[in-house]
Amino acid sequence: MNNHSTNPAQQIWQSQPVEGMKVSADVIRLRATKFEHKISRRNLRESIASLFVIAFFGYFFVTSPGILLRITWALFIAGMIWIVIALRLKGTPKTMPAAMGSSSSMDFFRSELERQRDLLRNVFPWYLAPLIPGYVALNVAYAFKFPGPIRWTGLGLLDVFFVAVFVGVWYMNRRAARCLQRSIDELSENQH
Amino acid sequence: MNAIETIPATKEALYDEAARVYGAALERLARAYEADVDLRRDLLQDIHLALWRSFEGFDGHCSLRTWIYRVAHNVAASHVTQQMRARKQALVGLEELENLPDISGAGSADRNHALNQLLALIQRLKPLDRHVILSYLEGLDAASIAEITGLSSGNVATKIHRIKTVLARQFQQGDVNHE
Repeated sequence: MNNHSTNPAQQIWQSQPVEGMKVSADVIRLRATKFEHKISRRNLRESIASLFVIAFFGYFFVTSPGILLRITWALFIAGMIWIVIALRLKGTPKTMPAAMGSSSSMDFFRSELERQRDLLRNVFPWYLAPLIPGYVALNVAYAFKFPGPIRWTGLGLLDVFFVAVFVGVWYMNRRAARCLQRSIDELSENQH
Repeated sequence: MNAIETIPATKEALYDEAARVYGAALERLARAYEADVDLRRDLLQDIHLALWRSFEGFDGHCSLRTWIYRVAHNVAASHVTQQMRARKQALVGLEELENLPDISGAGSADRNHALNQLLALIQRLKPLDRHVILSYLEGLDAASIAEITGLSSGNVATKIHRIKTVLARQFQQGDVNHE
């Protein structure tokens, strides 16, 4: 099934010196263990960071005087837990797929691009939206605790900043998703 | 390249056979996907690891060669995607490569120079086009490339035509010193 009419480039390519690197079963096992450790360390880092943020909100939850503020911090904690779960479920693959050979290169590459695109495209429901209830509750609690137009102006400015950050994150992710979609479309064109 | 006649039964035997028959091709593949020596060694080990693990799921629905090349290219393509993000590297397609100036204006004086030129050319390509050119350089025919990549036969034929045009321009028959 090989192409027998070799041209100079094929000859150069096939006759290049190789190290003849032998990958023994021990090296493979070591590599597999290293890979699993890498994944475990990443999971641990994510868990510690999440726990740190949750503990931060938890501190305010415990020490806040009023019920409204407590609801606020509880909503932030719930939002963070939601984000952590979504990251775990949708984030980077946790293991090396065992059946890589059963899908063609194009299918494999496309599914990888689609996974990344969906993650970016749906950044609002899984990454941004969970923080909104807490932020709205914080506004309400603040308004009740500090009535008066001057304080509200400050809060209004903070809201503008918050919305700008949200829109910015959402927009950048959507733009990256569109770039990935272009690559996916390019791949699809190749199939026909 | 030799085709494997009989398919070994166990995962270990499959891996041993794959490493024995395709070891050199996998090294060449890793070289085409990663220029840095240390990262290349890591990539090659990742490919071997992926192969070893993948044989658990090998059911014989495709040839062992197709399976090996799919796994190897899939691992390498993931590596390229990660490196692209890290290095902010822009890759081009075959059709764009046709319009780009030659890597070196001078003809290839010796095999070493020609090989480096060829590697530089391959490393500019997007993963799928890189896959096609590597398969072509390894001597695979269009039908096998289509099976491994999932591209249509027509598309593979078009890409091979472009590859030949680019290679002919870069590696004129008379430029290469065969010693």
